[in-house]
Amino acid sequence: MAFVSLKHVEKVYPSTDGKHRHGEKKSNLKVTKEGVLAVEDFNLEIKDREFIVLVGPSGCGKSTTLRMVAGLEEITRGEIYIDDRLVNDVPPKDRDIAMVFQSYALYPHMTVRGNMEFPLKLHKVPKDEIKKRVEQAASILGITEYLDRKPKALSGGQRQRVAIGRAIVREPKVLLMDEPLSNLDAKLRNQMRAEIIKLRQRIDTTFIYVTHDQTEAMTLGDRIVIMKDGVIQQIGTPQEVFDHPKNQFVAGFIGVPQMNFYDARLLRAADGSYKVELQGTYIVPSEEKQEALRKNDAEAQDIVLGVRPEHIALLGDGKDMLHGTVEVAEMMGSAVHLHVNACGRESIIIAQTMSFEGKLPGSFAIGSPISFTFGGNVIHMFSKDGNNLEA
Amino acid sequence: MTRESQSYNRLWSIVMTIISVLYMYPIFMVLINSLKQESAISTGTAFELPTEETFAGLANYENAISTQGFLSSLFFTTFITVTSVIAILLFCSMFAWYITRVNTKVTRALYLLCAFSMVVPFQMVMFTLSSMADSLNLNTPWVLWIIYLGFGAGLAVFMFCGFMRSVPIDIEEASMIDGCNPLQTYFHIVVPLLRPTMVSVAILEAMWIWNDYLLPTLILDINKYRTISMLIQFFRGSYGRVEMGPMMACIMLAILPIIIIYLIGQKYIIKGVVAGAVKG
Ligand SMILES: Nc1ncnc2c1ncn2[C@@H]1O[C@H](COP(=O)(O)OP(=O)(O)OP(=O)(O)O)[C@@H](O)[C@H]1O
Ligand SMILES: [Mg+2]
Repeated sequence: MAFVSLKHVEKVYPSTDGKHRHGEKKSNLKVTKEGVLAVEDFNLEIKDREFIVLVGPSGCGKSTTLRMVAGLEEITRGEIYIDDRLVNDVPPKDRDIAMVFQSYALYPHMTVRGNMEFPLKLHKVPKDEIKKRVEQAASILGITEYLDRKPKALSGGQRQRVAIGRAIVREPKVLLMDEPLSNLDAKLRNQMRAEIIKLRQRIDTTFIYVTHDQTEAMTLGDRIVIMKDGVIQQIGTPQEVFDHPKNQFVAGFIGVPQMNFYDARLLRAADGSYKVELQGTYIVPSEEKQEALRKNDAEAQDIVLGVRPEHIALLGDGKDMLHGTVEVAEMMGSAVHLHVNACGRESIIIAQTMSFEGKLPGSFAIGSPISFTFGGNVIHMFSKDGNNLEA
Repeated sequence: MTRESQSYNRLWSIVMTIISVLYMYPIFMVLINSLKQESAISTGTAFELPTEETFAGLANYENAISTQGFLSSLFFTTFITVTSVIAILLFCSMFAWYITRVNTKVTRALYLLCAFSMVVPFQMVMFTLSSMADSLNLNTPWVLWIIYLGFGAGLAVFMFCGFMRSVPIDIEEASMIDGCNPLQTYFHIVVPLLRPTMVSVAILEAMWIWNDYLLPTLILDINKYRTISMLIQFFRGSYGRVEMGPMMACIMLAILPIIIIYLIGQKYIIKGVVAGAVKG
């Protein structure tokens, strides 16, 4: 239960200090005199009980940001507040936070019970209260029967639960999680994801959750913070970032399969209406998009046109269709993912296996020609340097 | 198992048996001679098992124990060994923890310095050491652990660092978030993790300190304080002739505690060495 606010937070790793990390690619991070700028001007106001997800590709500074909130990493510049208290110089143990590590970081020499009791003992919680809280957390997480085992006698999923248990018995103000599910197999991951959603309804805590998996981010987060190369790209609800990506990076990062991008040209008529030309066909953006473009006074220019695979229709009226050839058809059950070579690029199209007539719309044999189209309401227009022209 | 690997194993066992017999032989010699009468030792029969006439029973042992000073020597040796080993374990593990977790030029230099101290032969520093010990009043058994700490630190720090590097730092970070200050993290988390390494280090250092002869001889006043190894040597020097029987018994008594400690701790030694080697 707490507000967390990060104001102009930055992290610089001195370059001399990171010799052992030379193998890693950090060419995209800004390098200053002081060293490598791993997190740059990070601003975020987290509301009480909000579930915030930090997401981005590897090395974008998610963990670094989380560890600065935890107090495990020094803050180079800027301020972090937890409940109006400036915590920059507060050691981790006094921040009233708990953290779940990717490696679980259980204490190997203690039993599960010992692990969960440990933080409470350190905080001098009375004995019967400790017992009550540990048993309650164990039953929420379904690990009661393992309480007397050592961590090495547990499976990955069980260890994960213990790690979460150890964090929630504290009833911390803020619960930090750094890729807690990434060591689990796909099935268990889905299951644990659902359990985290359930867990969050039971406990009143502010969550900050780090992941590189956009599905986790979309399903768990109240708001998502998308980062790249140490810089925040966009902050918004899952729906917002999906529908209105601020730039091409966000558009490509959120949503599976990835959004298709085509080189196109934005045309502006004398009456101020816009049209997009793609391979000789014209797409007229919806009225809402026209309005946004007019408001931004977008000029006629070469653009990158983005369309999500699920928004492409195979059934058109024949005129103004785009043409391509099927290269791969991936049968997913309820839909087929078609990899189509069109407009000089590979695009992905999702075709429902059931059309309205109750049969497959056409044949998807490899090499067969295919025609498709999409409406003016589903397109995203990005300038050549990646910014959304509507934003 | 294939036939080849079977015969390979058999060959291997034979070789190892021969080697272990070679290693055991001197100890066995001491043992049988400690059970013989004095006259049977010094003559050419030293290599024979005791016969009915030459068998002395535990007379030599009684003789050794009742020799003036044996019990006090036993006390001094035990005291020096225990205090030194405790000091080495405590200070070196803390030091190793710090220098593996805090990575600066200074800590790297300190690590190299420690490793280097293992290379310097004791003989090179022994005379300056003994005069320094005199001037600093370190020449009593009560504070000899300070000197042993210095000489034992190289190996101990080396082993602790090797293991510490293989321990993910997450566990310590988790404890810091859970509410530990650094000292609590050390005692609640680091010490239990290091326990197997600590046992290995303790055994290695204890064997060395218990058996050490040169350092105590140089530093302690032999007329006031005698460790067991000094006492054994004293048997030879004090009388006109060497009293072999009690000396052999004394040697047996001196190595007994070490053998017991080793047997108790050996499973940890193997664990500790493997834990460092595989993951590090
Ligand atoms: N101790 C360090 N010294 C020097 N550079 C570091 C250090 N820790 C991290 N970095 C650099 O800072 C950048 C951000 O690292 P961070 O661990 O926050 O990435 P991440 O977003 O969590 O990535 P991942 O998804 O791989 O965990 C990386 O480029 C990394 O190389
Ligand atoms: Mg990370």
